[in-house]
Amino acid sequence: MFSYLIRRLFFVVFVVWGVTFATFFIANVVPIDPAIAALGDNAREEQIREFRERYGLDKPIWQQYLIYMGRLLSGDLGNSLRTQRAVAEDLKEFFPATLELSVAAFLVTLLLGVPAGILAALQQNRATDVAVRVLALIGGATPVFFLAVLLQYVLARQLDLLPVQGRLDGFSIPPPRVTGLVGLDALLAHDWSVFVDSLRHLVLPAFVLGSFSAAVLARMTRATMLEVLAQDYIRTARAKGVGPRAVILRHALKNASLPILTLLGSLLGGLLSGAVLTETIFSWPGIGRYVTQSATSLDFPAVMGVTLLVGLVYALINLVVDLLYAFLDPRIRYA
Amino acid sequence: MNPIKAVGLIAALSLGSALAQDRTQTLIYGGDWSDLITMDPQISYEFSGGLVTDNLYETLVKYEGADLSTLKPGLAESWKVERGKDTWEITFRLRRGSKFSSGNEVTAKDVVYTFERALALKGPGSFLFTEIAQLKPGATRAVDNYTVVVSIPKTASPGSFLSILTFNIGGIVDSETVQKNAKGNDYGREWLTNNSAGSGPFRLVRWDRGSQVLLEANPNARIKPKLQRVILREIKEPAVLRTALESGEIDIAEGLTPEALRALAGNPRFRTLKADSLRLNYLGMNVKEGSPFANKLVREAVRYSINQDELVNGLVQGNGTKIQTIIPKGLLGYDPRTPYNFDPARARRLLAQAGYPNGLEFELLVSTGICGGGIPCADIAAKVQADLAKGGFKANVRAIANAEVLRTYRAQNHQMVLVGWSPDFPDPDGNATPWADFAARSIAWRNSWNDPTAARLANQAALETDPTKRVALYRLLTDYVLKNGPYAVLYQPAVPLGLSAKVEGYVRNAQGQVRFENISKLP
Amino acid sequence: MRNPGGLLGLGLLLLLMAVALLAPVIAPDPIQQNIAQRLQPPSAEHWLGTDQLGRDVWARVAHGAGISLRVGFGVVLLAVLLGVTVGLLAGTLGGAWDNLLMRLTDIFFAFPSLILAMAIAAALGPNLNNTIIAVALVSWPIYARLVRANVLALREREFVEAARALGASRIRLMLRHLLPNTLTPIFVQASFDVGGAILTAAGLSFIGFGAQPPTPEWGAMVSETRSYIAEAIWAPTAPAMGILLTVLAFNLLGDALRDVLDPRARD
Repeated sequence: MFSYLIRRLFFVVFVVWGVTFATFFIANVVPIDPAIAALGDNAREEQIREFRERYGLDKPIWQQYLIYMGRLLSGDLGNSLRTQRAVAEDLKEFFPATLELSVAAFLVTLLLGVPAGILAALQQNRATDVAVRVLALIGGATPVFFLAVLLQYVLARQLDLLPVQGRLDGFSIPPPRVTGLVGLDALLAHDWSVFVDSLRHLVLPAFVLGSFSAAVLARMTRATMLEVLAQDYIRTARAKGVGPRAVILRHALKNASLPILTLLGSLLGGLLSGAVLTETIFSWPGIGRYVTQSATSLDFPAVMGVTLLVGLVYALINLVVDLLYAFLDPRIRYA
Repeated sequence: MNPIKAVGLIAALSLGSALAQDRTQTLIYGGDWSDLITMDPQISYEFSGGLVTDNLYETLVKYEGADLSTLKPGLAESWKVERGKDTWEITFRLRRGSKFSSGNEVTAKDVVYTFERALALKGPGSFLFTEIAQLKPGATRAVDNYTVVVSIPKTASPGSFLSILTFNIGGIVDSETVQKNAKGNDYGREWLTNNSAGSGPFRLVRWDRGSQVLLEANPNARIKPKLQRVILREIKEPAVLRTALESGEIDIAEGLTPEALRALAGNPRFRTLKADSLRLNYLGMNVKEGSPFANKLVREAVRYSINQDELVNGLVQGNGTKIQTIIPKGLLGYDPRTPYNFDPARARRLLAQAGYPNGLEFELLVSTGICGGGIPCADIAAKVQADLAKGGFKANVRAIANAEVLRTYRAQNHQMVLVGWSPDFPDPDGNATPWADFAARSIAWRNSWNDPTAARLANQAALETDPTKRVALYRLLTDYVLKNGPYAVLYQPAVPLGLSAKVEGYVRNAQGQVRFENISKLP
Repeated sequence: MRNPGGLLGLGLLLLLMAVALLAPVIAPDPIQQNIAQRLQPPSAEHWLGTDQLGRDVWARVAHGAGISLRVGFGVVLLAVLLGVTVGLLAGTLGGAWDNLLMRLTDIFFAFPSLILAMAIAAALGPNLNNTIIAVALVSWPIYARLVRANVLALREREFVEAARALGASRIRLMLRHLLPNTLTPIFVQASFDVGGAILTAAGLSFIGFGAQPPTPEWGAMVSETRSYIAEAIWAPTAPAMGILLTVLAFNLLGDALRDVLDPRARD
């Protein structure tokens, strides 16, 4: 088990290295000039030259790569050309917002997807089942960006139910920054009204971001449940007179949890990608919007910082999923 | 969760909105502030940065309201310009009793520190000091606690220098506080990125990047603002901006679509405003040897192909005005004539005359994003493309990141670009020299347009001190460039704003400056 | 085929293909502007209304069908070619090569797909072909894994051993026996991925890393018209429905194909 963990951690490092290597060379496929991006149209030639020297943009690519890797090993992600400060600082500032949104969206996924899937399986071919299946099909085919724009228009503008943008109302006093997660920070400051306000602001973007994976999860849960319910031991248990509720919870769900767990791992990773679109539309100050703005201004140190972070999180999630797998299924052994 | 519970939850959440702050004392200003990278007045050179720092720092002299021609006293109660041997000697008398947010008094040593700081840090706007004003280190001297003398060479214009001083680069910083927070030789640059040390009516309390900037009244300031708090809220999506304004999430929305502006104008809860800017959106044609645009007739054909009335009235919808000459409305020397009318038949004739009887195909570069007046550049490009097609041109539009457009343009690698230009300071020379003088290595150079007549006129007009003669020279220049230059000016965009009817005292001048201290909110 | 979902999917797909092919006949010019007719609601003249430049939305949606299909098929074709090549090589060569190739696959698998595609599109310069390349580059690893797993499983089977005993070369083995046997799972996966690729490409176009104006690409259309949703809800909704129906068609088809071709993997 221990040596397996070491091997997996080594693999995480390898994947993250691969991600940076690939991004670095993608960033240098074409000659781009981030100096002009940073300095703007009215910049003088001399300023541009100085900027290039300051950020080492005048050196050959392989040298730039060695410098980058050297810095990376000492924990330095370099400087963003757009925000003109350390990429690590930017990530520290923007990642909590994305984490907050992704976790909320993950909860939406779980709370909508699993119950809907179970319900559909139990009511197979009846109205509920059909409704769940149709909704899941539509949810899996709707472009996230359109759902966002539409819900903003209908729920926020026409019905005025929920705020359209940001993490807090402008009139709310933001809590002191401790974790960077606004809701949690509000709780730490015992500020209930700000906590509720932060939840209100989360509802719409979290639903938009989570809807696609909720649809996928509902389909998967339904299919798995149907399979499990059809198996002999469940039938036996039912025949023995164990109530249907207990049957589902104890036997079926336990057996269905493994494939669902695998899916959840990849869905959580997908949420980080989906955040790019959602954050842009909801003015959500996370790394998704940050990376979009960075890519637009050809700020590749920032783009690399984000891919590095997301790659790392993704690899770690997969590691945790694998470990949970072992925990839930004693048959799996890691030599 | 069952649907009834879900609706209940949403309703509960929507009622529980937090009203922690007094709304009449807080102004929330929504807009695209994503270009905000620093709050340091000597470094900031972005529109948003200027918007904030103008309210954190005071300058020696300033403009008031929308007027960009009359200098008013700021930290200096008076000033005079004298002729030295090879220099202009400009003496500022500071008023007594102005205080920074720290409580320190503003004195001559802070002015000297600020100007030296700007020269030492070499920020993106520092060329205003070094090139336009030709200011050198050591040229600013404190005569006593309240008197400062600045010497600039005879070849520089003291008028331009004074107008540059109204910008944030001339925002006086608290030398003691800044120096206390300096690291090594950085003149407090790192610290001032996130903090303020000024004598302006507001001080910076909190900056949540990508989200909002929170300013509060500076308790020690000479100028007392009418509001306690101003929040700049970053919202890029025009539709969201509108919804946020309508639902009361924000008080002012900058960058609305023409339709939103029209809808709001019919609603008594709101006011709309089209604030002037000095920006010009134009087509630049590369006239380098071998380019089809090297032929004057082809450029004429382009100008006759643009249906400017339809562009301005139909697409830009009043979020911009029609203009064809190179000095924007609002500056001395503006020429309102628009001799080029939409005449595709004439364009085709001209094109045939130039040797392209079967039309001409080329690439039109345009930036992704918004192009001024709240209109996406891609829409402007699509309109121009359709117009040019009627005149016999086939323009292949390529929309790329703004940085890529500028890189290509600066390398003279374009055929035609659709871009905008704003003068560096509110003087006709801020447009004339870059657009007319090849040697300035600005936009005339980028379009490979080397024309001695235009350059001579621009230089002559820049140094002319008599206003009447200067206007006459600019008249000659703008007319010459209009007919011979490598440009087709499309429109002068306005900044479309929607305001809650409760907001009073909002004025935005053409340089984008807004004095928050004059704004108040009705209950 | 007793599969209503599959039939619906097939029907939708055929309809889309018909619209794509016949667009020049059944719809007006998608780039013809008429500023005076800006943001008009649906009418007899403009079935789906007009957009902010007075262009006919139906015309743009109809012409966009072909673009989306091209993107979807293009991406999957490229991804399958790349993935199958890598998977076959890894599976048949084995040893160090297998290790190297599969670690490469792992790296691409671990990539946040939209962010990588965005980086690629930004670096290559935004246009439709680069979008296809970018999305394909993040979609191939699944095929490599599929193919390799199948190759390893098949290698143990008797007929391959028999062929090897008869002296068949590695390459012939690969082409004659292994490839045909791995086609079924590839085909099922591919039909799902066409829809996914269309969604990802539309997302890229939405944030400005895709199709160039005035190309009537659906994602770009939603993006261009979203600021006008309050005045002209039809303008962003019509292309979004185009995306939805296309993706739905491929998902339904994928489900049906899996049920028919690969009953064991039934969900």
